[in-house]
Amino acid sequence: MMKFEKIGQPVRRLEDGRLLTGRGRFSDDWSLKNQAYMAVVRSPHAHARIRSVDTSDAENLPGVMAIFTGQDCIADELSPIPHSPEPSTKYDMKLHGPGGSDVFIGNHMLLPADKARYVGEALAVVVAETLAQAQDGADAVFIDFDPLPSVTDTKLSAVVGAPVIWDEVPDNIPVETFFGDKEQTDAAFDAAAHVVEMEFHIDRVTGVPMEPRAALGDYDTDTGRYTIYAGSGGSVRQKREMAEVLGEEADRVRVISKDVGGNFGTRNRLYVEFPLVGWASKKVGRPVKFTCQRTESFLTDYQGRDLVTKVSLALNGEGRFLAMRADNLSNVGSRMVSLSPLSKGSGLITGSYDIPTAHLRSRAVFSNTAPTNAYRSSGRPEVTFAIERLVETAARDLGIDPIEIRRQNLIPPEKMPYPNAVGMTYDSGEYEKNMAMAMELADWGGFSGRRSEAEARGKLLGRGFANYVESSIGTPREQAEIHVNADGHIDLVIGTQPSGQGHETSFAQVVAEWLGVPVQCISVIVGDTDVVKVGGGSHSGRSMRMAGTVIVKAADELIDKAKKLAAHVLEAAETDIEFKDGQFGIGGTDRQIDLFELAGVFEKHENLPEELGGGLSVIEDNVMETPVFPNGCHICEIEIDPQTGAFEIARYTTVDDVGRAINPLIVDGQTHGGIVQGAGEALGELCAMDTETGQPLAGSFMDYHMPRADEYPSFSTALNEVPSPTNPLGVKAGGEGGTTPALAVLVNGFVDALRPYGVRDIKMPVTPRKIWELIHANS
Amino acid sequence: MKQTEITLNVNGREVKTTVSPRMTLVDCLRDLLRLTGTHVGCEHGICGACSVLFDGEPIRSCLMFAVQAEGHEIRTVEGLADEDGTLSDLQDSFWECHAMQCGYCTPGMLVASSALLCENPDPGEDDIREAISGNLCRCTGYQQIVEAVQLTAKRRKEVASNG
Repeated sequence: MMKFEKIGQPVRRLEDGRLLTGRGRFSDDWSLKNQAYMAVVRSPHAHARIRSVDTSDAENLPGVMAIFTGQDCIADELSPIPHSPEPSTKYDMKLHGPGGSDVFIGNHMLLPADKARYVGEALAVVVAETLAQAQDGADAVFIDFDPLPSVTDTKLSAVVGAPVIWDEVPDNIPVETFFGDKEQTDAAFDAAAHVVEMEFHIDRVTGVPMEPRAALGDYDTDTGRYTIYAGSGGSVRQKREMAEVLGEEADRVRVISKDVGGNFGTRNRLYVEFPLVGWASKKVGRPVKFTCQRTESFLTDYQGRDLVTKVSLALNGEGRFLAMRADNLSNVGSRMVSLSPLSKGSGLITGSYDIPTAHLRSRAVFSNTAPTNAYRSSGRPEVTFAIERLVETAARDLGIDPIEIRRQNLIPPEKMPYPNAVGMTYDSGEYEKNMAMAMELADWGGFSGRRSEAEARGKLLGRGFANYVESSIGTPREQAEIHVNADGHIDLVIGTQPSGQGHETSFAQVVAEWLGVPVQCISVIVGDTDVVKVGGGSHSGRSMRMAGTVIVKAADELIDKAKKLAAHVLEAAETDIEFKDGQFGIGGTDRQIDLFELAGVFEKHENLPEELGGGLSVIEDNVMETPVFPNGCHICEIEIDPQTGAFEIARYTTVDDVGRAINPLIVDGQTHGGIVQGAGEALGELCAMDTETGQPLAGSFMDYHMPRADEYPSFSTALNEVPSPTNPLGVKAGGEGGTTPALAVLVNGFVDALRPYGVRDIKMPVTPRKIWELIHANS
Repeated sequence: MKQTEITLNVNGREVKTTVSPRMTLVDCLRDLLRLTGTHVGCEHGICGACSVLFDGEPIRSCLMFAVQAEGHEIRTVEGLADEDGTLSDLQDSFWECHAMQCGYCTPGMLVASSALLCENPDPGEDDIREAISGNLCRCTGYQQIVEAVQLTAKRRKEVASNG
């Protein structure tokens, strides 16, 4: 293993000084002189044709400056948002429409003129002098609706005769793709000693970044440019898509996205309000600001999960897995924004296990709900839940120890790289070692004593276990620009956009390591598309791996360039120049010059040879298609009071293989946060809907159960760092492993605790009431 | 709408401003006084992002009208460090323990934790979790915030015993 000094250290984050003192620059913190405010008229119906929009009352209210509707978008020839829902890098699982047809995407207009397809959909906007006047104006816009039957439930949306969301897709199924080998799988099932079958609905949740989305648009009539201040998962993509919507060349749009108050996938794709503030600013000739209220976020943030999966496992008499079948149905909501969850999950249905053959049907379905998108660990928690619940249940049904059944079916390290039965190739991992480490850390052997002790207090103690493997793929291109300044600091310009992951520190650690300078002298510049022109954004656990790789490449090039100049300055042959600890010297002599002095030479020296021109700067591009596969093992213990159904997570232990950890302090934070975000879905989070009317029932923090500090214990976490062979730093990813198995491990724990009551499965979210009902249903 | 002039004491300084009676304290702090460190996360008093110290007590500034703060002392995240910019021990512990990721809930967490430590200089883990349970954080899973508060309490004890 390479030896590093700065990589691998728990360096304090460089971004924290401003965040601790209230000097962050979040989207709503930007304000411009003379700005107007925008409020949105949203659909109260889940499904309704728009007969007409009457704005006359609203127009006459004080302060109202302008009202825009779907017809105005058409009149101004605005384009739909150019969503690219299909994951399309070389190694993604490719999806297509039924019978191999193209996937129907549909027009995501900023304001639809034909019909509303979910409650909360933006249908008109009002711009006014003050926010209150804009809101009053929005209340006064009268839309004449023709309500249509609606459907929100995932399975019901796919039933023949369900209300049709898009006329072009009369069965609501825009995607149907088969993977694996049907014949081999059928044969294996026919020959199996046991078959265990289960069906799960990993229901709809939403990302809930603590900062509601906001955008400030400023159109400059002199330059014809739009500046949009709006935090997102990647400003380069936002700029490109906004330019296309507005019918402008990409360089006419500048996006500024500095501090972003959480993303988790929720902000990866463009929201209609962002181009709307730009367009509105041009129309009214003033800056226009929009800030989402929390209820609007609950209704209209792109949401997550929502997969119905029917899985079955064929086993021989000894508990060896022979084959697997899965039928996955992903609810994409009313518009085709992203197929990431379906695609990512499709590649990982067999989990950490060596299952020789499998067959999978992957379908997407439209419904009258908010569109779905990647949400922390897109698609992987769903399929991890399915395989780990299935394996656990198979063991219990067959009377085999659930640890033993896992051990004997794990993919061993010597089979790496391992092509799984649906076409993904895992790069590396030591799955059995993860299990052993986690079991030791969790004091596996002490459980029976803790259970007896709990029983003595009248409590039930259950234990949950889950392995996981996930894929980190993501947009393959990333660019880094490094500029050394003579004043002793180094700028790193990079396209991927942070939202709390600490890029300003971990990326700086890589630069500092390579250039032999202190971490603190590096400024990471992100989130202004006039400076950062290329970059893929933060998603799919890609940032550290993509950025780390391109930074190393750029730093090596910078060192080469600096060596040439050092040779020139020190009047030596380039081959005699050695670089160490930020110094360029001639071996065996005391003649040397440091990086910043060299930058000064570049800045001052007018008579440099041509090949040494351009300052001590490099721009390097990198394209990396090969995915990596973070993996690990989580264990929990849950104590239940059978009298009330109330529960407490008593212990939670993790071992994660994130590849090389650049900053273990940051990785720990990612793991803790990831666990709680996954656990949230198991323990309370749900975008509940009234299935009759399609009305969302969770519209505020009063009715959407966010995880709170007093509901969780401190976690016991460890890393099993197995460097990935696919990139120079050996990075996998650390942002999603906490989340991926959390749903499965917790539900396995609840079922274990409640097994004495004949419980075989519990639908998430697991609440005290559900537990109480299960206990009392069988007593 | 009728406008009212109010005088507030914010971070140790008297400020006069003119507000409409329906303006919330958080909007006044952010939009009129341009103290944007205090954040709005829900506008309905649940998430705690807008917490400020009001005469030393943590309150939700989204649930109070600016006019109600007339004559009271308000301390926001901008006023937690020393005059010379030196971070408070609590802020420094948050930094050391990596008690923030995106930083959006951080001002509220600092306010809730600083109020806890005034009331209980030696809180246990459960006390800390209880004290910050009215503040939502989506990033950290809370553990490193708990550790930061524990570290602050430990450092204060050390200072007290050395002093």
